[in-house]
Amino acid sequence: MIAAYLNSLLEAVNRRMALVLAGVALLIAGVFLWIVQMKPLPDGTSVILLGTNFLGPATLAAPAVFRAEIQQTGALWLLLAIFAAAPLLSSSVEKGWLELTFSKGTSRWQIFLGRFLGGLTLYFLTFLLATFPVALRLWWKTGVGPLPLAVALLIQTFSFAALLAVVALATLPQKGMALPIMAAVAVWFISPLLASRRDIFDSFFASHFARGSLDWAYRILPKCSELEKMCATFIQDGRIATWWPLWSTAVFLAATLGLSMWLLERKSF
Amino acid sequence: MTPPAIETRDLQKTYRTFLRRKTVPALQGVSLRVEPGTIFGLIGQNGAGKTTLVKILLGLSRPTGGSATLLGASPQNCTVRRRVGYLPEQMRIPEYLTAKSFLRYMGRLNGVSAEILGQRIPELTERVGLAGVKKPVKSYSKGMQQRLGLAQALLNDPEVLFLDEPTDGLDPLGRKDVRDLLVSLRTAGKTIFLNSHMLSEIELVCDQIVILNRGEVARVASPAEFTRGTGEYLVRVTAATDAVRAAAAAVLGASNGNGKNGRSSKAPQPNWTENTLRFSPRDREQLNALIDRLRSAQAEIDAVEPVRLSLEQFFLQVVGAQE
Repeated sequence: MIAAYLNSLLEAVNRRMALVLAGVALLIAGVFLWIVQMKPLPDGTSVILLGTNFLGPATLAAPAVFRAEIQQTGALWLLLAIFAAAPLLSSSVEKGWLELTFSKGTSRWQIFLGRFLGGLTLYFLTFLLATFPVALRLWWKTGVGPLPLAVALLIQTFSFAALLAVVALATLPQKGMALPIMAAVAVWFISPLLASRRDIFDSFFASHFARGSLDWAYRILPKCSELEKMCATFIQDGRIATWWPLWSTAVFLAATLGLSMWLLERKSF
Repeated sequence: MTPPAIETRDLQKTYRTFLRRKTVPALQGVSLRVEPGTIFGLIGQNGAGKTTLVKILLGLSRPTGGSATLLGASPQNCTVRRRVGYLPEQMRIPEYLTAKSFLRYMGRLNGVSAEILGQRIPELTERVGLAGVKKPVKSYSKGMQQRLGLAQALLNDPEVLFLDEPTDGLDPLGRKDVRDLLVSLRTAGKTIFLNSHMLSEIELVCDQIVILNRGEVARVASPAEFTRGTGEYLVRVTAATDAVRAAAAAVLGASNGNGKNGRSSKAPQPNWTENTLRFSPRDREQLNALIDRLRSAQAEIDAVEPVRLSLEQFFLQVVGAQE
C-alpha cells in the first residue's frame, strides 16, 4: 500500500496537477499575506486589518482571519482537488496498467487505498500551502497559534475524503473520469440544498414520501456544507456544537470506500 | 509426484453483456496441467480464449465454473502471485515513470525489498539490453518497452512466468535474445507459460503446446508430436535425368500398382518437381530399394528427408477441421 501511495504522489507531481494546485495555493496565500495587515499599537499589542476593514486586536481578530480563509478557499479547494485527484484513481484501473499492477502480490484494495490516500495528501498539503502562511505570520507577529486552523483543515480534509470516496465508487463500473467527477461535484452541490431542505423544498413537495426521501438523502449523503460551517464555528468558539455531520459523513465515507474496494476485489477484468 | 505449477480443471468463463441479455462463452471446460520447469505454449486464433485463460490464472478474472490453481493455490491468493511474473500483451507504462522508478514500483508491489531491488534492477536492465538507457519511458520504442516489460516480469525471480507475446515489437536479434533467455530460465527450473502468435518461436522453445479453439482445448502435445512426419519423403538429386526418373518409376510404380497382398494401392504416383522427388514409400525396404535403384541409374543423391508438418500447418489443420 505504501508503494502505491508513494507512486500516486509521484504521478500527481509528474502529471502537473499537484504543481497547478500548489501554484494556485501560493497565489491564494500571497493574496492573504497581502491583504492581512498587522499594525503595532503604542502599548505593544497589535491590531489586524483585512484590506481596509479594521478587525480588532490580534487575539480577537486572528480567528476571523482564519475563518475568512476557510470560507473563501474551502469550497474552491474541494472542487479543484476533485479534478486533480480523480485521475489518480481512474488511472489505476486503466487497461494495460491494471494488468501489470493487479497481477502482482499486493491486493487490489491495498493499491486502490494507497492511491486514495495519495489523493487526500494532495488535497491536504496544497490546502495547507494556501492557508497556513498567513496563520504562521500571525503566530510569529502576534503570538496567536494556528491550532484552530489546523483542526479546521483536518475537518475539511475529512469532507474531501467523503467526496473522493464517491469518485472511487464511480470509477469502477466504467472507463474514464468524467462520471466520477460529475458524481462527486453533484454530491458536493446537493449538500447545502439538503441541509436547508425544509426552507427550499417544502413549498414544492407536499407529499410525505418526497419529503421523507429528501430526509433520507440528507441523512445518507456527506454533509460538506455543514462541515464547512463546523470549521468556522470551531475556529471562532474552539468547540464543536454538534457531532452529527461528522459521524454521519464518517459512516458514508466508510461504507462508500468499503464498497468500492469490495467491488474492485470482486471485479473480473 | 510433483504438484503441477499450473492446473485447470473444467475451467469455464462466460461473459455477460449489459443487463445480462446475452452470454458469450470464452472458455468451455479447459483442463490443463503444466509441469514445473517446462515451457508451455498456448496458441489459438483471436478470440479463442487465450487471454481470458491467462487472466484467470493470474487472478485478474474469476472463472464462472471449474477451478484453477497456481503453484498449488488459488490465483486470487496474493502470496502465491509474489512467486509469479507476468508480461502482458498490451502494456501501458505511464509516461511519468522512468525505467528505474517503474521497475522499483513493480518490485515493491511484489514485496521485493529495496535492498534486493538495488541489486536486481541493474542486473535485469543489463540482461534485457537496456543498461545505460537514460531516456524516459515515454520516448521508448515498442521493442524497448517490451524489454522493460520483460525485466519487470523477472524482478521477483519468479517460479512461474507468464509471457503474452513476448517478442512483439522486437527485431530478429531481440527475438533470439528472448528465446535464449527462456531456455536459460527453463534450465534454472522456472516454469514458463508462453502465449504467442509466433508459431515458429513456440515450436522452437516449448516442451508442450496446447491449441485452444473457441474456448476449448483442441489438442495438447509436444512440438515433436505436432510436427511428426507425414509419411512422405523428399529425395533430392543433382540431375533428374530420364534414366533416373525411369528408375524411380520402376520401383514406385510397380509396387504402388501392386501391393504386398496383390491389392492395388491408392498411393500417389512419384511426383517430381525439378530435381526433387516427393513420394510416400510403403515401408523402409521400399525406400532403400528406391535409393539403390537411383544410385544404379547414376543419380547423385543430395538429400533424403522426411516431410514434416510445421506447427503452423498443423495448427491450420486442427483449427480448420473444427471450423
